[in-house]
Amino acid sequence: MITVNHLSKTYHNPDGSSLTVLKDINCTIEKGEVISLIGPSGTGKSTLLRALNLLDPPTGGEIIFEGENILAKGYPVHKLRQKMGMVFQSFNLFDHMTVLENVMYAPVKILKKSMEEAREEALSLLRKVGLAEKADVYPDSLSGGQKQRVAIARCLAMNPEVILFDEPTSALDPTMVGEVLSVMRQLAKEGMTMLIVTHEMKFALDVSTRIFFMYDGYIHEDGTPQQIFIQPKRSATKAFVQRIRKEVFEVHGEDFDYPGMETSINRFCIKYNIADKKDSVITLCQLLMPVYKETGDQLTVRISYSELSGETALDFMREEDNEAPARLKEETFRKQLLSICKDIIEEPTARGYRVKFLL
Amino acid sequence: MKHFIRLLTFIACIALASCAHQSEATLELTSEQDLAGLRVATVNGSIYALSLSKRDDIDLHLFNFEADALQSVLAGKTDVMVLDETFLDRRMREEYGMKIAMTGEERYPTAIMFRKGDYELADAMNDLQDRMEKDGTMDSLKNFWIEENYLDREHQTHIPVEKTGKPLKVACISNMAPISFMVGSEWYGIEPDLCRELARYLHRPVEFHLYDFSSAIMALKNNMADVVTGCLFITEERSEEYLFPNPYHYYGAAYFVKDKSAKAAEGTIWERIGKSLEKNLIREGRWKYITNGLWVTIYITILAILLGSILGIGLCAMTRSKRKWMRSTAAVYNWFIAGIPMLVLLLILFYVVFAGSGLNPTAVAIIAFALNFASGASDVYGTSLDAIPRGQTEAGLALGFTRLQTFAHIVLPQAIRRGLPLYQGQCISLLKGTSIVGYIAIQDLTRAGDIIRSRTFDAIVPLLLVTVIYFLLAWLLGILIKLATPKTQVL
Repeated sequence: MITVNHLSKTYHNPDGSSLTVLKDINCTIEKGEVISLIGPSGTGKSTLLRALNLLDPPTGGEIIFEGENILAKGYPVHKLRQKMGMVFQSFNLFDHMTVLENVMYAPVKILKKSMEEAREEALSLLRKVGLAEKADVYPDSLSGGQKQRVAIARCLAMNPEVILFDEPTSALDPTMVGEVLSVMRQLAKEGMTMLIVTHEMKFALDVSTRIFFMYDGYIHEDGTPQQIFIQPKRSATKAFVQRIRKEVFEVHGEDFDYPGMETSINRFCIKYNIADKKDSVITLCQLLMPVYKETGDQLTVRISYSELSGETALDFMREEDNEAPARLKEETFRKQLLSICKDIIEEPTARGYRVKFLL
Repeated sequence: MKHFIRLLTFIACIALASCAHQSEATLELTSEQDLAGLRVATVNGSIYALSLSKRDDIDLHLFNFEADALQSVLAGKTDVMVLDETFLDRRMREEYGMKIAMTGEERYPTAIMFRKGDYELADAMNDLQDRMEKDGTMDSLKNFWIEENYLDREHQTHIPVEKTGKPLKVACISNMAPISFMVGSEWYGIEPDLCRELARYLHRPVEFHLYDFSSAIMALKNNMADVVTGCLFITEERSEEYLFPNPYHYYGAAYFVKDKSAKAAEGTIWERIGKSLEKNLIREGRWKYITNGLWVTIYITILAILLGSILGIGLCAMTRSKRKWMRSTAAVYNWFIAGIPMLVLLLILFYVVFAGSGLNPTAVAIIAFALNFASGASDVYGTSLDAIPRGQTEAGLALGFTRLQTFAHIVLPQAIRRGLPLYQGQCISLLKGTSIVGYIAIQDLTRAGDIIRSRTFDAIVPLLLVTVIYFLLAWLLGILIKLATPKTQVL
């Protein structure tokens, strides 16, 4: 359906310097595929997506869509875009139109559908994304998640053959990510061809038929979710998919800002979408901080989260220790702790004795 | 409604302030030495202004219009007003409670004025005057105009002039009976009649335009006028720059003071207001100045807005062009317009750029205001377009609209909505800005007020009337712009 050969994109700055974001992209996308583009920031995921519908025209190579080179001179770009929908990170709903008008507008103006027909279709699409009752309000009064679902409906109204999703959940409050992903899951199930730039690893793993791992302007590794997430061949891929999100707190003496640490933990949990574990983590901290305080001043606390496995852990570690504090060995206290966390793992490391609480 | 109440309060304050009156004895003058220490009002550019400015023992106040000088005496801001002896006939003096404290001894030779080197006209005028002196027509002309109570008489002229041919263009700098003054659109007085005699002598038609002194001189130098009239005294300085024929008369000065013994205006406040309105609007059909001026103001404003809005689109496109020379050109243009006072731009266009083009003053005014408006409009367009996030364009393109469709259907409606208040502000400031077109002899609303003022010497009522009309115009313009705005109804 789409074949990309030796695609490159170089930005030329006014000062004469230049930046090559896409170096040599080659890939083929078949009808019905759901492809997630993952990788570190600044490796060209969004640029590749925006190159495909020529919002950011590439500077080299070719893109073949349904047998035609869309980079050829005189190719009707707007016709291409009618078949290749796009959903943006920042929704980009038309603020001067109601939700219904947003969805109806392109079919009426471009496909010349009658008002009645367009309205019927728009309403059924809004029903599909769960927003039929918001048809007559303006985008202003919608939440981020609702806006993104309207944007998806607007895109579907043109009946595209493929949809490009450019970080569709990155601008959303974590509580609203789910509603958008579930709409996308539904689309994937219905066989829509989709290209998704995303940071939601769990979602990419579940929904995709194929993953492009992008690194340094290339598709560094291309494979099924199993291949990319479970058995990555290349080390950059491995480092990325197995990377662990963490935040470290160095506790020094009496003056440590404990409420500040609670706020940081809160933010961490919301950011990585593990808000459900927030209360457990904070309760654990409240129980353990006094225990460690009794035995000395210096302490390192670390919260970590693996996006792929979903594993969350809270580590307590002190350099001068070679065993856990005595209190932790008391059976009642340990039972109390285990009612909050799944497991407690103790191990000596080069930087002291570590007690890991798995959540 | 709230605006109306504010406006009425404002008017009431001015009216009250003007009613404040003093109660001293009438000023007595016996010689020019008595002027020492007094506040003296006269008109800018007059011979009295020249001679009085040489004295450092008086406090001299210079006004552009005789009516303003009169008003300053009436309001007690000055003590004495020095003007031509023909100024204010007996009836007007009584009406205003003014009296002539003394008359000046010196007589000044007076003539109509020609361009330097235009001997043909000056010689013709001299021949004509000689002939008129001999056959007595000059005396009868003077008898007709220069005597007391000329205002009570029906104004008319019996001098026939040609209807076709190259017109003799007369720039009248003073709207003052009996020298030269307007009733409706016709000019009367001794000097217009002299000009008519000259035109008849030359077998040419004649046309009159009202200028102020400095504009008249520019018009004369730029061949846009052939004659300047307005009780011009022949001085050495003027003779160096301009050409005078022989004087047709010798005028003297009169020293007008407020007559404190005169009875205050009779009747209730309403009767006085009614009388004032009668004088300023009904008498001699003066309301026509206002209605004509109103149309001129509306005409200039609307056409300048239309033309300027279109030019503004081009300018805005240049400002946002990819080509550097286009951006630079637009930047220089904006810099130029931002730096030049509107009046100066208007005068330069009229007296320099379009001087020989034969374009009428109204067209020049429309062009000048359009050029100025284009800069502001371009700024409004730019600001409004920039306020629309790039994502809106991208969303439109991604749906399959062409660039033009995206701009027209998605960006423009939102930009219009944002830019409308700014645009409306620009339009209203243009409307108010047009009040300077009087400088190039256009009789707009402001100038209409001036004309009435210079005939009735009532400084307040015409001003207030014009103020109220400008307020209404601004309000109507706002409504008109809202109506003319393309509806942002989407589907």
